[in-house]
Amino acid sequence: MPSTPPQISPVEEQEKYLHDALGVVKAQAFHMKRALDKNKLMDALKNASAMLAELRTSLLSPKSYYELYMAITDELRHMELYLVDEFQKGRKVPDLYELVQYAGNIVPRLYLLITVGLVYIKTNTSLRRDLLKDLVEMCRGVQHPLRGLFLRNYLLQCTRNVLPDAPDTDVDCPEGTVKDSIDFVLMNFAEMNKLWVRMQHQGHSRDRHNREREREELRILVGTNLVRLSQLESVTLEKYQKSVLPGILEQVVSCRDAIAQEYLMECVIQVFPDEFHIQTLNPFLKSCAELEAGVNVKNIVISLIERLAAFSQRSDALGSEGVNILQEVQLFEVFSNQVSSIIANREYLPPEDMVALQVALVNLALKCYPDRIDYIDKVMLSSVEVLQRLGLEHLESHTPVAKELQKLLKIPLDNYNSLLMVLKLKHYAGLMQHLDYLGRKALSIYILNNALEHETIIPTAEESEQALTLLNTLVTDKNEHPIGELDMEELAEEQCLLARFIHQLRSNEPDDQYLILTSARKFCHQTITALVKAELAELPLRLFLQGALAIDQIGFENHETVAYEFMSQAFSLYEDEISDSKAQLAAITLIVGSLEQISCFSEENSDPLRTQCALAASKLLKKPDQCRGVATCSHLFWSGKSLASKGEETHDGKHVVECLKKGLRIAKQCMDTSVQVQLFVELLNHYIYFFEKGNDQVDVEILNQLIKKIGDELANLESSDEAEQISKHFSNTLAHLKLRMESPDGDRDVYRGIKLNPDGVVETEKEKVDA
Amino acid sequence: SFFGFGQSAEIEVYLDGQETRKTAEVKTEDGKKERLLLYYDGETVSGKVNISLKKPGSKLEHQGIKIEFIGQIEMYYDRGNHHEFISLVKELARPGEMIAHTSYPFEFSCVEKPFEVYTGANVRLRYFLRVTIIRRLADIVKEIDIAVHTLSSYPEMNNSIKMEVGIEDCLHIEFEYNKSKYHLKDVIVGKIYFLLVRIKIKHMEIAIIKRETTGSGPNTFTENVTIAKYEIMDGAPVRGESIPIRVFLAGYELTPTMRDINKKFSVRYFLNLVLMDTEDRRYFKQQEITLWRKGDKLRKPNLQSPAIMAGTQNLQNTMQQYQQTEPDEADEDASSKAPVKEDFTRAPANSQSSDRLDKAAMSDPFDHRVSSPTRESPESGIQNMTREAGDGQNDNGNETAE
Repeated sequence: MPSTPPQISPVEEQEKYLHDALGVVKAQAFHMKRALDKNKLMDALKNASAMLAELRTSLLSPKSYYELYMAITDELRHMELYLVDEFQKGRKVPDLYELVQYAGNIVPRLYLLITVGLVYIKTNTSLRRDLLKDLVEMCRGVQHPLRGLFLRNYLLQCTRNVLPDAPDTDVDCPEGTVKDSIDFVLMNFAEMNKLWVRMQHQGHSRDRHNREREREELRILVGTNLVRLSQLESVTLEKYQKSVLPGILEQVVSCRDAIAQEYLMECVIQVFPDEFHIQTLNPFLKSCAELEAGVNVKNIVISLIERLAAFSQRSDALGSEGVNILQEVQLFEVFSNQVSSIIANREYLPPEDMVALQVALVNLALKCYPDRIDYIDKVMLSSVEVLQRLGLEHLESHTPVAKELQKLLKIPLDNYNSLLMVLKLKHYAGLMQHLDYLGRKALSIYILNNALEHETIIPTAEESEQALTLLNTLVTDKNEHPIGELDMEELAEEQCLLARFIHQLRSNEPDDQYLILTSARKFCHQTITALVKAELAELPLRLFLQGALAIDQIGFENHETVAYEFMSQAFSLYEDEISDSKAQLAAITLIVGSLEQISCFSEENSDPLRTQCALAASKLLKKPDQCRGVATCSHLFWSGKSLASKGEETHDGKHVVECLKKGLRIAKQCMDTSVQVQLFVELLNHYIYFFEKGNDQVDVEILNQLIKKIGDELANLESSDEAEQISKHFSNTLAHLKLRMESPDGDRDVYRGIKLNPDGVVETEKEKVDA
Repeated sequence: SFFGFGQSAEIEVYLDGQETRKTAEVKTEDGKKERLLLYYDGETVSGKVNISLKKPGSKLEHQGIKIEFIGQIEMYYDRGNHHEFISLVKELARPGEMIAHTSYPFEFSCVEKPFEVYTGANVRLRYFLRVTIIRRLADIVKEIDIAVHTLSSYPEMNNSIKMEVGIEDCLHIEFEYNKSKYHLKDVIVGKIYFLLVRIKIKHMEIAIIKRETTGSGPNTFTENVTIAKYEIMDGAPVRGESIPIRVFLAGYELTPTMRDINKKFSVRYFLNLVLMDTEDRRYFKQQEITLWRKGDKLRKPNLQSPAIMAGTQNLQNTMQQYQQTEPDEADEDASSKAPVKEDFTRAPANSQSSDRLDKAAMSDPFDHRVSSPTRESPESGIQNMTREAGDGQNDNGNETAE
């Protein structure tokens, strides 16, 4: 095999190059310092030049180059200190500024020139203006991006404490004024930016990623120019408006480089004071609209908005001055207009960014103009317009734009914590419609939670209507719902929330309350219907019944019809959906119980319902169930109310007895005697109940028959736990009767004739009680 | 004297005011430098010749003693023939005998010294005093070289050099040097403006080339020497970039331009603007500049003066002019509107190895390696260079190097 040199990785290679270079630097710096100690300036300059020649390299990555640069400029400081010292002692080196320019290579030459130039400036300020001009101009000679950037960074570093910062004057001022500093830094900035941008276009396109990373590492060098400008105290608002900002923006826009534009705009926002931003919004935002397609304009604008929003809060705290600015500047209008034009101009702006901009606008409006709800609505409207123009409907909830939209819609809620305020936004609901089903649902739940948490009371019908329209995703329009993904628990929870919310709809004014509930009703019905569709039978059954009960209590127009509708829905549910016999019994009991309580039905409605109940009861699968069902139904005819009875109990004794007789018949058909006896006892209780209530169809005879019958059957029962229980139940019943008979007050006579079986047990019990 | 027989004498020449007279460094033929007393045209050269006898007490017989003032041109390839353009003789003593140390004053008053001393690759121009004790067998001779500088007054015409050059569709630049005539301690200030850049430029330098031409007709010899290489740009510029030039001449070994000195030789200087691309191809453009010597007294080394910055800012007119007039269009349009007035010369990559910046050391006063100028190879292609007539400078049209 041919021998190949050992492969070394690029990282190791970099380390090696850097190490070698640093070695040279160390050696030359050592000699330089020795020469300076011996006052041999020429020798020292030669060493410095040799040291600086290391910066001519093209082998190093930006990172390594930076390390090398730092090492070298550190050493150069010795030279500078020495020269300043010498100059101050009056030992001037003639033509030093010229002397260093004999260096044949431009990179070391310019570093030396800057170093010496700085010494001249420090020791003789009358040269300052011209020297600064000269240095920044001469640096043009280095067009290599990396080397140029660092060279100019050195220039910037060296001059940081000597930039003239005096206000402009009319007289010629060789020491320079702030204008000279601005020109100086702006020029350096423009040149550095050009170099930085140029890096993007060097080398192979496959290295683009690397290049961009390297550029990121270097961006601070460019940004330092802006920092320097911001540190000039004589840069007043006027100067900023007239020369600083236009200079920066001109360069930023014209460089046509997305990375640079994004970073620099961000920089401008960060380094200059808010007092300046607030007065220069238009030019700044105008420039934002002119940036490259790849620039994340959203972030820039948002960061500005956030800063100014925060600023406005601070200035509020400070007093009237900041407020005046806010009024004068019309922050919101300016942003709103500029954001619209940015959105209009930048076709490539992703929709989520457009929405995010609206989010920022809303935040701004909320912070700066908390009482201007029309601003919020304006944003909502423009968002709707944007989405419509883009033809974006039913945004899928996982998409970024939908997420942004969610955010946008939640902000007013989070801020006001009042659904009522949100309802004042005319375009809120319209905007919400751009979400898909899941999105709307999630938002609706969010709204509900918010309203419940803050106990928002919805006081008028109109608002209730709006609120419920807003939330209608939860109740209707399930067409969009993905089939088969329904989570029952989730659904129940949602509906529960909704139900709780309905309680928030209330008013002190009865009229209003009535109207509110009218609108609420529709939604109840829709809600329950929705649940039915969800094949969850029992819950909706209960809800229907409760709905009917509630409606019964509320005397609104045609509530009877509505209640009837609810009841019949309950029945059809019972018939169609409930198949388990136990559940059926429970359901029928519920229905009966509800019906019994409802008083709003006219005869023509209540009769069929009662009959229906009785019929349903008698059709239950198991005999005992039938029996119990029918017995329960009997109460409908007694204590049930209707319009016919004017809300009084019906007291239809005949029907009651029919029901109970039917119960007896059914009980007799039971094969199991213990069950039979139990049913008899239960029926006896029903009878006794009606007897006591004064049903003239129930007489002593019937009771006696039944008691006798039970007594007979009970004797035949084999003793068991069950039998024990039944006999206990029976004797309790008898004890009750006996108590009644012996009761001193009331209608003792009615009970006369009831033959309580001379069962010792009962007697003894009684005696014990007496004793 | 032979075998120690007879008397021998030592000649010493004392020049008036030599303790205070300014000196100048002059190169000898073998490349060494010596300091010589400096005279100017029309200055009197006077002094004393002291002759001391080596054997005191015995006499020295001679056929006469004379002193000559000679200005001559020596061609290295023609050693036998020296061309004396000045030859003045003064007799110091008639034939006779000398018995003691003797001193003879002499004076060449208001001597015309039309040329500057010069030591070049093929030719040398020198002035010297020669004292000869004429003897029968062997003359005793002593030669003393002096330096002569020719001073000029400010040139009346001193236009800037401004030119647009390029290679079609490849590279168009405009360059400007602030003057066409520079004194030896002058500063060249200029600017390169890039109109079109379609090649990957690595760097750009300005070289000062000295061209020595000797002989005439078929026996013409030309020697190009790069006196200085001065990097003025590192990296690749883009269109619209303007690069400043500032070269201090004082640090280099330069002589005034000499044209057709006594019909024997010429020394001329050129500024060579060289661009090198990433594939080491060189593009260059030579411009002759005239160098002249200004009286030293006039030079004020005033480091407090902003003159040290030699205002590159003053040349911004070019750039501004372009920025104003040039519409913001693509390169193609810009180039079509800016007609190429002159071509760059492009040297093949392999022909200039001696001259590449990355290898050859730059002429750097901080760097010992480059204290002597590099000699340029004869093929340094300035062929095919065309010049447009009448751009104001010099009249040397199409040049051939060979």
